[in-house]
Amino acid sequence: MTTPPPPPAIPGELVEEALLRVPPDDPASLVRASLVCKDWCRLISAPGFRRRLSERHGAPPLLGFVGSVTDTDGRLGITRFLPTSSFRPRRAEADLFGWVAIHSCHGRVLLFRRPWCANPRENRLLVWDPVADERRELPRMSWRPEPVPESWNAAVLCSASAAAGCNYSDCHRGPFLVIFVGTLGSTTATSVYSSDANAWSERTSARVSFIQYHIEATAIAENALYFNTITGTRLVKCDLSTREVSWINLPTEASKRDIVLMAMEDGRLGFAMVKEDNLYIWSREVGLDGEKRWAQSRIIELNKLLPADALYVEPHLAGYANGAGVVFLWTCGGFFSVDLNSLRVEERGGSYRLGKSVVPVMSFCTPALGAASTGEGSGPGA
Amino acid sequence: MASAGSGDEKAAAAAMITLISSDNEKFEVTEATATLSQTIRHMIEDGCTDGGVPLPNVTSKILARVIEYCKKHATAAAGEEGSSSSFSDAAFLEVDRAFLEELEEFDDAFLEVDRATLFDLILAANYLDIKGLLNLTCQKVADSVKGKTPEQIREMYNIVNDLTPEEEAEIRRETQWAFE
Repeated sequence: MTTPPPPPAIPGELVEEALLRVPPDDPASLVRASLVCKDWCRLISAPGFRRRLSERHGAPPLLGFVGSVTDTDGRLGITRFLPTSSFRPRRAEADLFGWVAIHSCHGRVLLFRRPWCANPRENRLLVWDPVADERRELPRMSWRPEPVPESWNAAVLCSASAAAGCNYSDCHRGPFLVIFVGTLGSTTATSVYSSDANAWSERTSARVSFIQYHIEATAIAENALYFNTITGTRLVKCDLSTREVSWINLPTEASKRDIVLMAMEDGRLGFAMVKEDNLYIWSREVGLDGEKRWAQSRIIELNKLLPADALYVEPHLAGYANGAGVVFLWTCGGFFSVDLNSLRVEERGGSYRLGKSVVPVMSFCTPALGAASTGEGSGPGA
Repeated sequence: MASAGSGDEKAAAAAMITLISSDNEKFEVTEATATLSQTIRHMIEDGCTDGGVPLPNVTSKILARVIEYCKKHATAAAGEEGSSSSFSDAAFLEVDRAFLEELEEFDDAFLEVDRATLFDLILAANYLDIKGLLNLTCQKVADSVKGKTPEQIREMYNIVNDLTPEEEAEIRRETQWAFE
């Protein structure tokens, strides 16, 4: 009797070529592959692997989204991470109780503690990195915006983005900023938190009169942060280099409508809005005269994508995953994601009823390991 | 006249390339087929293909498969360039779609090989710098990892686990979510 020859070993130099092609929205397979042997473990957890993943796949994949849900027991306003990939955060629900997600960038989620109080000493902001499993509560600010609802907004971004250039791969576990804007008397004030200093900057003010923000949906585009306001006619622009605050107008077609702001693939500012059964994409184009103006760039007919019972009432745009190109729609017939490239529609949220706003989380997800990934033969063998 | 004739002969000869495998087997292929390999394309550009191109890293068995792949995909590339004028847009799209489907079927059948051959094909695609083939073969390996446990991957690829129990425990602790 002859035993069959053992299967050949995979040539070492090809392992990386192959593993780079594991779909980035299936990080669990990559993590399990890292447990195959020392070589695979070192390879997958090396920073260079993450960089090459982003070179190969471009923008990081959508891992899931953070939203407020009503659970099956009817408990209201519970914040949860709902996965759209094989990634699962290590700890989630209990730690997020009482926190509301408002923004995310390159895998970091910014949350505030409800209720937002008149006393600045009681107001709390938290930055959570589900992939790195790190959370940092920010120090309290020394000032507060007007004590009316939605008189402020904030956004988190990696320091590299703020310096106008981040390829997604190197900012992981790196320094980050939180930019806070708020209405203060007849001005708009901003403060910037830096994770390096673990402190807020001095307040700066601009003569932009009273604003109420939609505390959701901030876009980083054209080297600026754009905040939506509840007037529905204008956006607040905060220049990332100069920190200057100014207005830009929305087109009249978007006036008073729900919109989500987006960064287009080439970095221009855009937004999506729903009117009746259609999803409209607008972007800022540069005209022949060099002036920037809004132009409608795409119409997506939702009645061809969503079930009929989802369109009895006009859907509400709940969020947009920059880079991944996915919009989230709250409808009377369920909560859906629509991939704007493939037009693939998926129902999200499972048995939960989701609130009208969600914060998507996009990141490459590779294990960062200690001894096994760095040490060369440290310690006795098995 | 004579010089023009020899020029034509040269052009005709240049359109065929001889590839020589590690076991000294010769394969005549068109330049269009051969130049799917960036490595060979550069050799042609540098004029070092007279007397054949020796490929000491590729056996005749593997080279035959690689040429099979390149022939099919070179035809596809030529079809894309040539057909746009002869069909209306709709007919062109229809033909294009049918051809792409055929190409996909070809690729699927092409990958029905044992593991040793697959690895040899990857090595050859890498050495010859044939992007499409490298992508196809590496994707097959990537897909095979999907949903598998570390034990299953080790068994599939004949890999010895040299992680210490402590290391393995640490990784599992950090990434428990991937094993649930």
